[in-house]
Amino acid sequence: MRAIGTWFKGYLLQFIVLVIVLASMYAFYPRFHVESSIERIMPLGVVAAGLAVTMIAGEFDLSIASMAAFSGALTIVLSPIGLVPALIISIIVGTALGALQGWAIAKLGINSLVFTIGTLILFRGLTWVVTNGVSVRVSDVTATDVFRDKIGFLTPLSLTGILIFIALGIFLAYTRWGREIYALGGARNEAIAAGVRYKRGMIVAFAISGGLGAVAGGMTSALGGSASPTAFGSLLLGALAVVLVGGISLAGGRGTMVNVFLGFAIIAILSAGLSAMGAKAFVAELFTGVLLLVVLVFDYLIGAIAENDRKKKLRKIATSEA
Amino acid sequence: MTTTETISVGFQNRAGTRSLINFLRNWALPILVVLLFVLSIFLVPKFAELTTIRAIFLQASLIGIAAVGMTALTLSGNMFSLGVTPTVILGAMVYIWVGEGTTSMWLGAAAAIIVVVILGIIQGFIVSLGLNAVIVTLAVGSVIYGVTAIVTKGALVEPSEKVDLAGFATFDIFGIPLPIVVFIVFTALAWFLTEHTLIGRNVHLLGANKETARNSGISPRATTVWAFIAMSLGFGIAAVIASAQIHSVQADQLPNLTLDTVAAVLVGGTAVTGGDGSPIKSAIGALFIATIAQIMVLTSVPDGLKQLILGIVVVALVVILHVLRKAGSR
Repeated sequence: MRAIGTWFKGYLLQFIVLVIVLASMYAFYPRFHVESSIERIMPLGVVAAGLAVTMIAGEFDLSIASMAAFSGALTIVLSPIGLVPALIISIIVGTALGALQGWAIAKLGINSLVFTIGTLILFRGLTWVVTNGVSVRVSDVTATDVFRDKIGFLTPLSLTGILIFIALGIFLAYTRWGREIYALGGARNEAIAAGVRYKRGMIVAFAISGGLGAVAGGMTSALGGSASPTAFGSLLLGALAVVLVGGISLAGGRGTMVNVFLGFAIIAILSAGLSAMGAKAFVAELFTGVLLLVVLVFDYLIGAIAENDRKKKLRKIATSEA
Repeated sequence: MTTTETISVGFQNRAGTRSLINFLRNWALPILVVLLFVLSIFLVPKFAELTTIRAIFLQASLIGIAAVGMTALTLSGNMFSLGVTPTVILGAMVYIWVGEGTTSMWLGAAAAIIVVVILGIIQGFIVSLGLNAVIVTLAVGSVIYGVTAIVTKGALVEPSEKVDLAGFATFDIFGIPLPIVVFIVFTALAWFLTEHTLIGRNVHLLGANKETARNSGISPRATTVWAFIAMSLGFGIAAVIASAQIHSVQADQLPNLTLDTVAAVLVGGTAVTGGDGSPIKSAIGALFIATIAQIMVLTSVPDGLKQLILGIVVVALVVILHVLRKAGSR
């Protein structure tokens, strides 16, 4: 019972926000459906999960939205061989590119923000080349039906998203490789000194983020039957908002998939509310930006207060000993 | 005896390699730009014409002014801004609104620069609390984009016929278009400010070693805010020039400006970890990117391939510069 209590306490803030958001949505819109709002932006959750893994590892993958656009385009272009095999190939390609990226970052010891802003441009260029600069569609419109059939009460997209959250959560929390990612993010030098393999950790983290970017982009395109070279322009911002609202630390080494899921649920419900009000895309972007800033400053204030408390305690100890 | 000799020889060799590496680090890009120019004159049709050279420099001036400004932020150890496009678009709109209202392009320019700088100061304060500049500028950028899109309802902002706001783009000094002159003067000024003033040196030191900077009495907050002011000055001037050049602006225009600007700084060779670099490097980086873009236009490379080539060039140069820097500091 106590374990559940402490577990709950770790996510208290996110739970409170989630309940408030949910309650206010039902109060404003009696016909509101949580499931449908989460369903609609599931790709955002998947990308956020990928971004979270690199952030836990103390790195940052700016290229993830471009990777999503690239995989989306690749899925559609390869669709003559069948949409499902095309999707699988794109995901494999995305994961491989991600792994390569992680290997290069580890090998060079380069700042991942610098490297991934280069690959952000590069993957976007690949997308333009693959699509020839225009929107592409599947030739067989019935091919997308596979992705619309519900399994139980979930669509394939939601099911994939939820399975990814669960699998990734277990991987990070209970496997050796997962724990190594935390170690590399929390205290890199100590971790390496203790025998954690830095290069492997980076490859795994970036392969996961590349792969998840590919899953999100590929599934979105497979579902809609089309891809555009300029797609997913504001995906990075959205994913960052999800991750930070969920409470994952920018410093690395902290946060779990539960954090990401709670952040995702909050953003999903809010954005459903915005679109229910008939707000345009740029209003949503404004809103996400403001939210991100509020979270950043709030996070800073909590950190400052905690630091103050710690100092006060230390001072107390020092004076009582003297 | 022999061991001492081998050691000393080894040292000399290492010193020699190091100076070669440092030479490459500082001169590789300028040499590359010159090579690119010379080769293109022979290989690319129509490259050796005055209109082409003019187009390259005009293109470079917009990216370059923004990149030179951003160098201050990079030097201070705050990496880069991901909000260039929305900030410049907002400045361009302010230029048109105020210029139209007061019928003076000078007042319009002043207003645009002041608005952009105020936004920069606000972001500087937020970042100086210890927050990540990349994320703060991304967030603020999306807020600015949202606001401009809502205020203009996504429509074009256009000056009426009776006011001439294109003066900053059409004016010539001895045949050199004003944007290019502004680019050169701004780069020179930025170089002087970063190398020869107290604030500039403080920005350098803050980026090189934050703790040392603080211990030697430099205020991280004030210095960070100054870096943001320098960057915003660049964005403000770029906004005025962009607005004068493209005549009418829309909230989602100039989509590539942010990445081009960041690419110019990175390709130029300023260290993203801070403390090492120069505005001149970023200016040459912008020239390099503009040259490549122009060559691709002249050889009619398809749009898609342009992006890919730019991406490959950025990744390759960033990696090479990183390796050289590591080797040079060893």
